[in-house]
Amino acid sequence: MATQKKKARKKVVVELTRGDVLKVAAASVGSIIAAPLLTTGPLSPFGQLKQGQLEGEDYAGHGAKTGRHHWGMVIDLDQCIGCEYCMRACTATNDVKPAEPWNIVVPEKTSGGHTFFLSRPCLHCQNAPCVEVCPVKATFHREDGLVVMDYDRCIGCRYCQIACPYDARQFNWETRDEGDNPYVPAWGTPEVERRPRGVVEKCTFCIHRIDAGLEKGLTPGEDREATPACVNICPVGARTFGDLKDPNSRVSQLIDANPTLRLRDELGTETSVYYIPPKEGI
Amino acid sequence: MTTSTLPRKSFQLPFGRTFLLWIGLLAVLLVVGLYSAVRVLIEGLVITNLSDAVPWGLWITIDLSAIALGAGAFTLSAIVYIFGIKRLQPIIRLAVLVGFAGYTSAMLTLLMDIGRPDRFWHPWVFWNVHSVLWEVTMCITIYLTILITEFAPVIVDAKFFDRWPRVRALGHFLHKFTPFLAVLGLLISLLHQSSLGATYGVIKSRPIWFKPSMPIMFVLSAIAAGPAVTVAVAYVVEWIQGKRTVPHDVLRIITRFSGIGLLAYGYIKFWDLAAVTYYGSTPGVSLAFSLLQQQTPYSFSFWVGEVILGILVPAILFLVPRFNKNPAAAVVGALSAMVGIIVHRWNVTVGGLFVPLSYSPGTTYELPIGSYFPALIEWGVGILVIGYALTVLTLAVRFLPLFDKQEH
Repeated sequence: MATQKKKARKKVVVELTRGDVLKVAAASVGSIIAAPLLTTGPLSPFGQLKQGQLEGEDYAGHGAKTGRHHWGMVIDLDQCIGCEYCMRACTATNDVKPAEPWNIVVPEKTSGGHTFFLSRPCLHCQNAPCVEVCPVKATFHREDGLVVMDYDRCIGCRYCQIACPYDARQFNWETRDEGDNPYVPAWGTPEVERRPRGVVEKCTFCIHRIDAGLEKGLTPGEDREATPACVNICPVGARTFGDLKDPNSRVSQLIDANPTLRLRDELGTETSVYYIPPKEGI
Repeated sequence: MTTSTLPRKSFQLPFGRTFLLWIGLLAVLLVVGLYSAVRVLIEGLVITNLSDAVPWGLWITIDLSAIALGAGAFTLSAIVYIFGIKRLQPIIRLAVLVGFAGYTSAMLTLLMDIGRPDRFWHPWVFWNVHSVLWEVTMCITIYLTILITEFAPVIVDAKFFDRWPRVRALGHFLHKFTPFLAVLGLLISLLHQSSLGATYGVIKSRPIWFKPSMPIMFVLSAIAAGPAVTVAVAYVVEWIQGKRTVPHDVLRIITRFSGIGLLAYGYIKFWDLAAVTYYGSTPGVSLAFSLLQQQTPYSFSFWVGEVILGILVPAILFLVPRFNKNPAAAVVGALSAMVGIIVHRWNVTVGGLFVPLSYSPGTTYELPIGSYFPALIEWGVGILVIGYALTVLTLAVRFLPLFDKQEH
């Protein structure tokens, strides 16, 4: 008897009545109904504000290159002379902080010891590590395969920067001074708004040009007005831009006719930028 | 001569002098911390030593450590309410309090760390269910709610709520659900304690992070060290107040549990090390480790900080019966385990970022190896967090009925 009592006392006693359970169930159901109404629905203070963004979520996430186009770039490493014009034009056009360019050019050597130049915009991965890790979907795929940022949504946690295998993302550590961009106006004029302090920014393949060009019936990659600044300025034609889904576009033809490589393809990122390696091999 | 004993106590402080001194120290910490925090908010993260190469540093380390050290709450709640070991019940309130302090400290640090603190609510509204960090944010929010609900009866039992019987009744009503909250809390905690490790483990481009053992190491070390921290707090409170808080046999059981947990963590850590650096070694990982060993005191901090201080010393202090009986040894062991946790989180975060990315197809170009040491202002914000956590603990111990009322 005594041991039984002891055992009974050792158990955790749950003193719930049916009423208690019902009350909590009612409160839970109420909260579940109220939560979406208050956060994204008609009663929400930010829902109204952010309705456009919420509607935009249809094409966010993994729905890459589901649209009619898939914009891509081919960079010929034998053609590139390392003049850095692409970096300068990009920095001017997108008003990027010169110390942290979106588009870099670095000298490289083949295993045979010959110098070539590697230039790197954002590679617009179709399995983009940055898109996967962003906690708020501030960086997402457009249906034309481009990886872009919503600077109004980014919270500045910098996880995307850490996840990117290509070092293609820059954080805005401070508010920039006016006129800190020495490439303006010699290399172009800013066509997009400066990003605020505290968000991560990146190359967009000049989407503002692509979108405006398509509306006018132009072909990005063929018509200069609809083509990224880095491609237009290249004096040796090392960069080619176009629609990877169109078999007749120049990028598709270049990929068909040449051996190409994609950076760190073993990670499965499926970049939209293809490199034509030097003739002698890497 | 009764007239000579005039009433001398014209003014008496409600607290002792030592307590006032302590409050003064806390105030200094908070003032220094608030000054740093305000400067960071006004001038931006540019005044830290973080950079595009090493975007996460001291604050993320504090964040991860605070959550790990608050793990006593879910571990002990699970032991009491799920495994039904009621003997340990007297420590639950304290464990939940320590957990609350840890989790809110982490949230405070995160708020300082993100570039746009004004958008802290975005993860709740704009979901990316594919992101580990989103999952961590949601889990921590839910778990903090659970902690507050578990703690509600303690708060409403404070004298202040004599005037608010309805609030008190609500608190006690919520408390009836504690066993269910414990189950939910266990699930949620296991999830986010490990996904904090997965935050690193899923990053395939970083050689020393990308491994499936990362979440296991995080959750195991937290389960082992968290309860020990709770025990240490119990002993320290006992020394200060001069009266028994939690029965010593209970505390001894928990320190033994922690000791065994640390040994389990050490065992897995040994195999992780063996698999990553020896049996399953890949060129990328070997290169990363040799870079770290050349450029940073990585080996030293790993063996001394993570293994000796973090595992061996506390395991001995917690498990050898002679030390296990000694409160001072338990406190020293808990501090040592705490150092181990902090060094591990630092080594993972900063060490992983020091290793440069290499994506060029050529043979020479590689980003320079990262370098980072926290700026004074970052330590300042760290002091804010420590000051905050100590203030929460102090006020709770002083004003809340943590120990005197036994729960059924």
